[in-house]
Amino acid sequence: MTQAAPIALTSPAPTAARGWLAQAGVIALLVGVGLLILPPLLYLAASAVQAGSLGAVSIGSLGGLVFTTLSLATLATTWAMMLALPLAWLVVRTDLPFRNLCRWLAVVPLAIPSYIGAMAYIALLGPVGSVNAWFTTLTGSQQQWINIYGFWGGVFVLGLFTYPYIFLLASAALEATNPSVEETARSLGESPLGVLRRVTLPMLRPSVLAGGLLVFLYALSDFGSLSLLRVHVFTTAIYHQLNTRFDQASSAMLSFVLVLITLAVLVGQRILLSRRSYVTITGTARMARPLRLGRWRWPAAALTGGILGLSVFIPLGVLLAQTGSGGQFLEVLREQGRFIQNSLVMAGMAATLAMILGFLIAFTAKHAQRRTGAVLTGTIQVGYAIPGTVLGLSLILLYNTYLPWLYGTVGILVLAYLIRFLTQPVQGVESALAAINPHLEEAARSLAASPGAVLRQILAPLVRPTLFAVWTLVFISAMKELDATLLLRPAGFDTLSVRVYIHTVEAEYAKAGTLALLLIAFTVLPWSVVTHLQEKKIV
Amino acid sequence: MRSDITIVFRTAAAALLIASAAGSMAPFPAEAASDRLVIYSGRKEKAIKPVVEAFTKQTGIQVDLKIGKTSGLANEIRMEKVRPRGDLFISTEGGIMEVLAKDGLLDPYQSAATKAVPDEFKSVTGAWTGISGRARILLYNKNLVPEKEAPKSILELTDPKWKGKLAIAGTRERTSLAWAASLVAMKGEAFTRDYISKLQANGLKILTDNTEVWQGVGRGEFAIGLTNSPNYYLAKQNNLPVGVAYPDQEVGGLGTPINPNAVAVIKGATNLATARKFIDFLLSREGQRILVTQDYEMPLLADVEAGEVLPAKAIKRPAVTAQRLAELEEPTLALLTSLNPNW
Repeated sequence: MTQAAPIALTSPAPTAARGWLAQAGVIALLVGVGLLILPPLLYLAASAVQAGSLGAVSIGSLGGLVFTTLSLATLATTWAMMLALPLAWLVVRTDLPFRNLCRWLAVVPLAIPSYIGAMAYIALLGPVGSVNAWFTTLTGSQQQWINIYGFWGGVFVLGLFTYPYIFLLASAALEATNPSVEETARSLGESPLGVLRRVTLPMLRPSVLAGGLLVFLYALSDFGSLSLLRVHVFTTAIYHQLNTRFDQASSAMLSFVLVLITLAVLVGQRILLSRRSYVTITGTARMARPLRLGRWRWPAAALTGGILGLSVFIPLGVLLAQTGSGGQFLEVLREQGRFIQNSLVMAGMAATLAMILGFLIAFTAKHAQRRTGAVLTGTIQVGYAIPGTVLGLSLILLYNTYLPWLYGTVGILVLAYLIRFLTQPVQGVESALAAINPHLEEAARSLAASPGAVLRQILAPLVRPTLFAVWTLVFISAMKELDATLLLRPAGFDTLSVRVYIHTVEAEYAKAGTLALLLIAFTVLPWSVVTHLQEKKIV
Repeated sequence: MRSDITIVFRTAAAALLIASAAGSMAPFPAEAASDRLVIYSGRKEKAIKPVVEAFTKQTGIQVDLKIGKTSGLANEIRMEKVRPRGDLFISTEGGIMEVLAKDGLLDPYQSAATKAVPDEFKSVTGAWTGISGRARILLYNKNLVPEKEAPKSILELTDPKWKGKLAIAGTRERTSLAWAASLVAMKGEAFTRDYISKLQANGLKILTDNTEVWQGVGRGEFAIGLTNSPNYYLAKQNNLPVGVAYPDQEVGGLGTPINPNAVAVIKGATNLATARKFIDFLLSREGQRILVTQDYEMPLLADVEAGEVLPAKAIKRPAVTAQRLAELEEPTLALLTSLNPNW
């Protein structure tokens, strides 16, 4: 990564006043982010120190937990990359059949909360699920053919419903990187595979790592699907301490260990990213002539269909089979309209705020001194690692005590979503900014363009696809969020995800299925609008 | 001259504007809520909401309901101690109420209505009162277990013929913990330890919650599940091939525990008088009738019609007080987790 000027906002002729203002802006941002994220972290640390023990978790079983959790997250991330990268490359760079449709569909799994995905797959691949039943009918053998429960089921399901994180960032980056680099390589006699390996993939590295990190951190903090699939990891252990023993101290201790692991992962990612720099020389993201797949066209389509089948059609099909008649569907829609509105307003607010803040933070981090930037973005990423339940409880304690007017309103929900998901826009915009050659900015400035003009006319258009992508990411995450929402929502204020949870717990599966489909539909909606606008070149 | 700073500030200002606009649009239940009764309920919405609606109809008092897991809401009440936000707490088990009462989080209330509830289903100090009950049962899959082979005692479950076919919810379902604690109360710690180890050696599967238990049994993943009586009716309602055995009912037998669903006023409740009124309503004839029929629960009051389900008086149960049970929960949990951390 090229070292930029120490502080942002140094322009060719900095006046003292402006330098001071710039400093003040950076400091204000740092303080704001600090006030948002540090209190729950400090609270965790304080409780952990106070506890001094792990409650029922012995040091030996802690080692086991760390091992299981890390291997699960690593394998789920690998699996997600295996799904996301071929898809991203196929839909952006080749003449894959129905590529626009596939591109749209590839993001849909993100709208399916992983606990709902897990439930669908348990119904299908559980010990007494449909597949085993078919197998028994076909062969007459009572032997169990497949069992989704356990570690590998967790890897399978998590990867399946998180790969769009990588897909979104990788395809946006593919779009933003100049295809002429690849064309040049091809014209110089490099084989298509060689171009992929030596040119395309290296250029994608920052966004693949950013997306992979999101998947990894998601896997570390997921509770719902893993507890359903009977995998014992950190989050389930924390939940257990908290909900059967009411042992907040040792759950804080475990959460703190999880936060430390996250920090280690983040440092690792920084090191990986800082080894080389990847920049686009020119800013024009000209559309490439799609690569002709030729006789590989249909095999590629089959691969795409397989991935989308596993991650979109099968779970949606299972949910659809659960729901009742069309009349019932309308009834649910009428009855639950209020909750749909609640979800949309909350998620929209969180996404907009997160996008703006994320852009400011990424921009500041890029131009600030390297260490300041790393601390800033690192702090935000840690927020993602606090399990939702633990975050919810700590926010209750902190805000009910010190800012009681905020707690008990929906504002606390937006705040929780920001803490949990702010890392998504920061990561996304950061990787998009990293792909922009600083010479581009320098050149513009040397031509006497004002810094504002640089931001508006050069940086903003280049990161715009990413801005839309990160808004969608946060919106989707906030729509799905359950653990913290359950605790923090004001009484009487339910969201769609809460309703799905309540009806599932109460074993009203037709209602739960209908609401889950509605949740997915409303989560996909903004994504559809964005893709539509992008196709029409409006954004 | 335009600069980065102005851009940064403008965007920040825009963000603030959006935030405040959205904030003013959004409802502020807390401020408007002063005269609205706030109920935290670990009991299902399906069971509680009809009672709440009847209460509102009768009294004109508006209610905000927050449905969640009993243990999650209990944690929330602990966190909200300095400035309680809820008025009432409805839980799925008595032991958790004792935990909260010990921390001074509940406000005792006794009235003619609560006095009618048998002592075994309420706190001696009046901190909480049982509102309905659920018996501990053996749920079996009729396709895997013929009716006459269904076990009549929990002690039969250590028989190798059930190896790998048994399921129970872990202690995150408080009723599982209460069940084990009552075994400790009746037979002592050494016996319970030995019995649970034998169950585990017989392949007892510890699941996340009771829903998994009745569904697993209903679908045939397990032959027998240790769970609560309403789940039998729930499974039947879902057309699953299940049968029920109320275990250890013979003369001199252990009996099977009944866990009360309980209600308590949260200490520092804003609407103390309405909260108390609601408790009396829950225990009134009308309140009980709605509560009991909604989710296959047993009435605890002698004069309330049980309907489809077995009434509490028809079931032989261990003679253990709620207080004793609550005292035993912590050591029982330690015992269970020492045998298997997944409990």
